[in-house]
Amino acid sequence: MSLVQEKLNLLKQNTHNSVNSLLEDSALASAKKVDAKIENGQEIGLLEGIPFGIKDVYMLQGTYTTASSDLLKKYKAAYTATAIQKLLDAGAIPLVKENCDSFGHGSSSENTIFGAVKNAVNPDLVAGGSSGGSAVNVAKDNTVFSIGGDTGGSIRQPAGYNKIYGFKPTYGRISRYGLMAYASSTDCVGPIAKSLEDVRIVLNVMSGKDPRDQTSYVSEAVSADLKSSGIKTVGYYKNFIESDAISTKIKADFLATLEKIKAKGIAVKALDFFDADILVSTYYTLAMAETASNLSRLDGTNYGARIEGVNLKDTYSITRSENFSEETKRRVVGGNQVLSQGFSDEIYLKAQNLRNQISARFTEDFKDVDIVLSPVTPAIPPKIGESLQDPLAMYLSDAYTVGFSLGGLPALTIPKGTSTGLQITADKKKDAEVLQFANFLNEIL
Amino acid sequence: MSKIMTVDILSSIKGAKPSDSVNQLFDVIKNANKNTALNTVLANVLSLDDLRPDEVVESSAIEKQIIKENFPREKNGFLVVAKVIED
Repeated sequence: MSLVQEKLNLLKQNTHNSVNSLLEDSALASAKKVDAKIENGQEIGLLEGIPFGIKDVYMLQGTYTTASSDLLKKYKAAYTATAIQKLLDAGAIPLVKENCDSFGHGSSSENTIFGAVKNAVNPDLVAGGSSGGSAVNVAKDNTVFSIGGDTGGSIRQPAGYNKIYGFKPTYGRISRYGLMAYASSTDCVGPIAKSLEDVRIVLNVMSGKDPRDQTSYVSEAVSADLKSSGIKTVGYYKNFIESDAISTKIKADFLATLEKIKAKGIAVKALDFFDADILVSTYYTLAMAETASNLSRLDGTNYGARIEGVNLKDTYSITRSENFSEETKRRVVGGNQVLSQGFSDEIYLKAQNLRNQISARFTEDFKDVDIVLSPVTPAIPPKIGESLQDPLAMYLSDAYTVGFSLGGLPALTIPKGTSTGLQITADKKKDAEVLQFANFLNEIL
Repeated sequence: MSKIMTVDILSSIKGAKPSDSVNQLFDVIKNANKNTALNTVLANVLSLDDLRPDEVVESSAIEKQIIKENFPREKNGFLVVAKVIED
């Protein structure tokens, strides 16, 4: 009870705009039940009574689930997401629905009706995004862990910007049921936490096949013993490091990290990869096409803030024009552009082909190396207000994370190595190896 | 069927126009190399044996109540929709 109350008190201050809504009454009631169990000498689970946060794109029955948008400002979830239900079943207590970029559309958590989320380390800078509120709550100890959503880097990048851990598991390891869809083919549920052990525990609780998400699969729990690493070769993408866009400091720190790895007897191999502009363009083309489709249901008819027009179509377009943010509209329009007749072959289908080329390259690379290591971002977080003025620059800042999303690979940010962390990636379904290598890096860095 | 639909109509967003920033991303794709040797079909297929049963699942009372609470317009317990005009 006291832990939950302590965190609620911190969250109520909302110093960094990380809070969309507090779940105070339900949290205190749950905490009381845990206290009673302890008093009665009953056995309690690993997550029993542990307070956590939820990015405001997850369904939790009876709570406001706004996606930080005007359209769903008053929408209440009618059911609970599978991943969140598993945490509830394990005894964890949700405290807060967390601020994020609206519908996940952004890399800075400024595209939100609840105010730009401030970076936990320097409040003049952005928190990163789209899971910015979740990362800040963990970094500020407002929650013990938070559940973010990662489509193109939305867990890993804010984790890097706020100097904590953020894990995007292999696509399908955790059910997406009850996660508001942005781009269904890369959307992933994942934990954000202050320790590797917390990441592992929460990952294991949420993982598993779910009949309600047919892309989910059966997986083995990641063992608590993270020392059994058979990792012999680590690769890195040369063009990420030789790019003009990378900051001198991040580059130097990354190269120094590679030297420390070599000194421990692990081979380090430079790999060729696709140019950053190809990765970013492929990702955004497909993500926009998917979001145009996924958000087409949001028209104010069945739910959402309807604004009446003269007829049904007019009602749709006024509702969407008034209630979607500029960035969301930009992505929906982009998606409909590439899905239109005359453009789909030239852009959408070609982007699908490029995605397959990227995936095929990963398959080849992971025959030669066990792990790919990269910086999380090319630069430090921008100041609040800068990203919204230059959407293209914001898209390009995702250069190091989107490729791994297109491949459906497991990727973890650890707050070591560079000022925005390191990103550890392995082949599909090798989530355990990612955590094992993170454990190794924690020992040597 | 041959009617040309602009992006504002397709997107149901009044006055929507393509963005220069987004078009720059699309230009990169147009100029990229295609690999026709790659199989583009098998990556995300699901097995027929793995499909969810096609059955109606009754919502709980609380679920039904919340769905009604979310109705943008409601009359006598029913959802009110805008007038449909075919054109």
